[in-house]
Amino acid sequence: MTTDALRLRRGRARGASRVVRGRRVRPGTIARFLFIALFTLFVLAPFYWVAVTSIKPSDDLLASPPIWFPKHPTAIHYATSLNHMRGWLGLKNSVIIASFVTILSVLIGSAAAYSMARFRTGGKHLAFWVLSQRFLPPIAVVIPVFLMFRTLSLVDSRLGLILLYTVFALPFTIWMMYAYFRQMPPDLEEAALVDGCSRWQALWKVAWPLAAPGIVSAGAFAFIFSWTEFLFALVLTSTKAVTLPVIVAGTAVEFQGNLYGEASALTMVSLVPAVLLGILVQRHIVRGLTLGAVQG
Amino acid sequence: MAAHADTYGRRRLRAASSLLDAHIRWVLVAPAVLLILFMTIYPLGYSMWVNFVNYDFAIPGHRWVALDNFKTVWDDPIARHALWVTLGLSAAAVAVELVLGFLLALAMLRAFVGRRMLMVLFVVPLFVSPVIVGTFFSLILTRPFGPTNYLLGKVLGHTVNIDFTNDHPWYYVSIVLADAWQWTPFMFVILLAGLASISDQLYEAAEIDGASPRQSFFFVTLPLLTPIVLLAVAFRLVDSLKFFDVIYVLTRGGPGTSTYTLSYYLYEQGFQLFHLGMGTAGSWMFMVVISVIAFWLVRRLLKPVDAVSA
Amino acid sequence: MSDEIPVRPEDFEEVGLDPDALFDATMGRRDFLLNTAKLTAAAAAAGPFFLAAEQAQAARAASTGGDPIATTVINAATQNFKGTNLTRISEAGLQALEPKNFSGPLWKQMVGGNVSVVEAPFPQIFTKSVTEHIAKSGTLDVIDASPAWIPDFADRGVIMPVDDLVAKYKIGATFNDLHPLYRALAKYKGKTWGFFADGDVWNLYYRKDIFGNPKLQKAYKAKFKRPLRVPRTWDEFNETAAFITDQMAPKVYGAGEGRALGNPGNQFYFFQTFRAFGGHLYDPATMKALVNNPIGIKAMNSIMGELKASEPGINKLDFVSSWVLWLQGKTAMIYAWPPTGRISENYAQRDKAFAFLPKSKVVGKVGYALMPNRNGEHAGSFVQTVSADSKNAEAAFLYNAWITSPSVSLQVVMLPYTLRDPYRISHYKSAKYRSLWPGAKNYLISLAQAANYAVIDPIMTGSADYANAMDRGMTGIYAGKDVKSGLDGIAKEWDAITKRLGQDRIRASYAEFLKLPGATSKNTIAALGKAVKIT
Repeated sequence: MTTDALRLRRGRARGASRVVRGRRVRPGTIARFLFIALFTLFVLAPFYWVAVTSIKPSDDLLASPPIWFPKHPTAIHYATSLNHMRGWLGLKNSVIIASFVTILSVLIGSAAAYSMARFRTGGKHLAFWVLSQRFLPPIAVVIPVFLMFRTLSLVDSRLGLILLYTVFALPFTIWMMYAYFRQMPPDLEEAALVDGCSRWQALWKVAWPLAAPGIVSAGAFAFIFSWTEFLFALVLTSTKAVTLPVIVAGTAVEFQGNLYGEASALTMVSLVPAVLLGILVQRHIVRGLTLGAVQG
Repeated sequence: MAAHADTYGRRRLRAASSLLDAHIRWVLVAPAVLLILFMTIYPLGYSMWVNFVNYDFAIPGHRWVALDNFKTVWDDPIARHALWVTLGLSAAAVAVELVLGFLLALAMLRAFVGRRMLMVLFVVPLFVSPVIVGTFFSLILTRPFGPTNYLLGKVLGHTVNIDFTNDHPWYYVSIVLADAWQWTPFMFVILLAGLASISDQLYEAAEIDGASPRQSFFFVTLPLLTPIVLLAVAFRLVDSLKFFDVIYVLTRGGPGTSTYTLSYYLYEQGFQLFHLGMGTAGSWMFMVVISVIAFWLVRRLLKPVDAVSA
Repeated sequence: MSDEIPVRPEDFEEVGLDPDALFDATMGRRDFLLNTAKLTAAAAAAGPFFLAAEQAQAARAASTGGDPIATTVINAATQNFKGTNLTRISEAGLQALEPKNFSGPLWKQMVGGNVSVVEAPFPQIFTKSVTEHIAKSGTLDVIDASPAWIPDFADRGVIMPVDDLVAKYKIGATFNDLHPLYRALAKYKGKTWGFFADGDVWNLYYRKDIFGNPKLQKAYKAKFKRPLRVPRTWDEFNETAAFITDQMAPKVYGAGEGRALGNPGNQFYFFQTFRAFGGHLYDPATMKALVNNPIGIKAMNSIMGELKASEPGINKLDFVSSWVLWLQGKTAMIYAWPPTGRISENYAQRDKAFAFLPKSKVVGKVGYALMPNRNGEHAGSFVQTVSADSKNAEAAFLYNAWITSPSVSLQVVMLPYTLRDPYRISHYKSAKYRSLWPGAKNYLISLAQAANYAVIDPIMTGSADYANAMDRGMTGIYAGKDVKSGLDGIAKEWDAITKRLGQDRIRASYAEFLKLPGATSKNTIAALGKAVKIT
């Protein structure tokens, strides 16, 4: 979708009055930009409030009327939440788990996607089965998984979460890579085969490097999924493998005093990779979220 | 001697790699299939057993109870209530997101300075953890420390004292608001792509035929947009039925049990009250409901695949 | 009286910073941020005994000869369990500061092993311990268990009895000077399941300055024809609270109890008022729940009346947030746990760990009194138990015995920054404790008196389930549900719980509970004639 095509739009879809030369401003335009402005405010407001709350000294937190920017900002909430409330532990676990899940799901996913794209492996049935995992409600799975992990001593372990998250990330990565491989012409791989490469080498040396942008997007989705997942982490971790979302929920809900400052500080910390990655992949987001059904 | 062994080794390697090549299609899908099998079949199989026995912290033993677990969930008024709450919240949230997303897509359709940047900003909520979204709104809406009541008071001119997580119906509003904040961009992006993909020529043809802007909207835009809208709505619906994170942070299912969704109810049964047998039975019933919708959705998604593989 | 916390120079020398330079008023914002962060980091790096060096010293002395029980267990631990790491599950937030900043580091110094702390909000300690038990993870060694949970924990094998170990180490004398109310709380079915550790009796704390205000007194007398005094009944409490709110809101409200779900739970309010009015929880013949009978309705209405006189929004606040309002001077009367007395005197706020509590504006203005109707709830509290799945059971046992031994426990309940409260006669009589602030003597006497009249949490099978149903149901009533139908709903849930757990089991369990002192307002320690008189 090019910007040229978008520029061709003349607002016809909305019943606007005719365009005339000159500087007359259509009433529709004001409404339009007002709406956009309001929505922008709506999106930005929570970010602002949480950012400000994370640096307010404790007395300011409870002030009424609310304080819009503290006179004496402080970093104490960051220090407290990271040092005294297992913030570092949660951060560390989340980073480790998300990284492994990304690597695993991209490797396994793109391998499977390649096979399905180039060789139609498993046909419709495999595709159906893999895709339907996406819609499995976590709550339906969490009790049996808990009991299974108990038998395998995987409760409260990073390995357990990594395996579980990978399974849930695979539909995303497989589907994104599948779409990517399908639209990649097989010519270069054919050429490599003619040159004497095995199929295996064709995959590693030719197809994969070419698919790098798709891999990056798929990896980013997998990372964000593991970074933000909550229910499984809540149930399956307690002391060793606890992840950042669980700690954030803990400070927001559970601690005495509803530690608003600490909750905000941890929230800001969690936002960083999510926002950065989001900006990275925002171009592919439509394809990713709808598993390729809609081309963005 | 050494040379001979060397060629032998190399020949074996070549044989192995050609074996690999011949079956590469299976080797490549194997890890994914095996992993998914392991993490779904075993638990689902085990839970099939748990469905029909007593599995409860407070009551020792695992005696066979046939359909008792299912019956208890079916008869539990809180489970019913949770079902209605889930359906209601999902419908409301998806409706709000659809309308807002559509309006936003229309507004953003034409280019203007800074549109690219706004697009990036609008997409960010999608990558935020739902727990964080719940925290956002918990901080903004909570009385007496959040700014919402204060701002509302200023705008409306009299003191506003709504308890957004305790007063009826405001706790529903809060949840829908939080969900809309995160997922309106989803609708927005999809609808924008859909709107942008409608060819100009269709509009020009309609104009030539004498259609007013309103008519071309109803007869060109909407029909072409419908399949995409259906897809997006189905996606959101299936996802929103799993409402948990925001509930956990914002209301904890309260006050009382007013904001219990199915996921929260099952979580409470399984991991707060330790009625694991009941929780499992309830989860199976929930899964069946979701599967019906998901089935349709997956088939619809695979259609392009069918067309290609035909 | 100045509102400033006296900051002592030695506090900063301990961490190598210059206090004058740090708080120079002309400093720019950026530097202030930087220095605050530095101070916090330095405090964390300085080690855990920041501002508790005295208590640590005393505890160490007790454990190396001063206190025979403490010495015995520390010697045994050092000999047989040197370097053993323990995991302890504790109430999240302030309570957890005790093992994190005091007993943990001290244990490490003397015995060599780490004490890692798992934090959970009060009702979650129960669920987490059960989850770990079901998961057979063996993660937990020490469980801070509320006495109410001991029947379930004991019956289902979550914790282990400690009689054998007590006999082995010959430390039975440690139970001798517990207040009589607490003696029975760690026992169940003839066995001992742990060491009592926290005297959580509720008392009434009120603002002496407000009650002593002549204008208010005049207006009150004119309206009610009786002097303005500390309320003696719940009706009087509600009237007085409403009066103060009328006169002084929004600066001050008459009452202000935190009522957030699960933090730690609304059931305590109901149990207290219900039993003060003479209510019984179950009909012993049918085991039907009686919480929705006329007494229950009266109790709930009393609680709702109090809510009207409280600051709006208090429904969502947990009890620490309600303490914040109290410390800011916004509440005239609060009934809560003993730390209320300590934090009102700014005793705790000097410590950096208390950075999220504001300084007290009510220093020297707080009076202590018995609850209206005299029966305060003994709410929550903790018994140090050993997890049955623990791989370090004996070391965990020694740790528990150590922190509850007479001298070490005195230091624990004197820590400026945690929530453990006096429970031994020696605590109430301690000269050191009485010297902590001018009103400390009266404070300790009032705690002992409160324990004499206290009613205890229901200790029986399924208590966590019943409490959870009550807690949730009450939040529904706060949100506007009609009192009668709300209580009916709770009673229905209780009956369902009873049915599921087995009526006979519950009947037997309830009968056992009724034998404990404090089970009803008729068999409190005072009613049984065993009141402890502290002067």
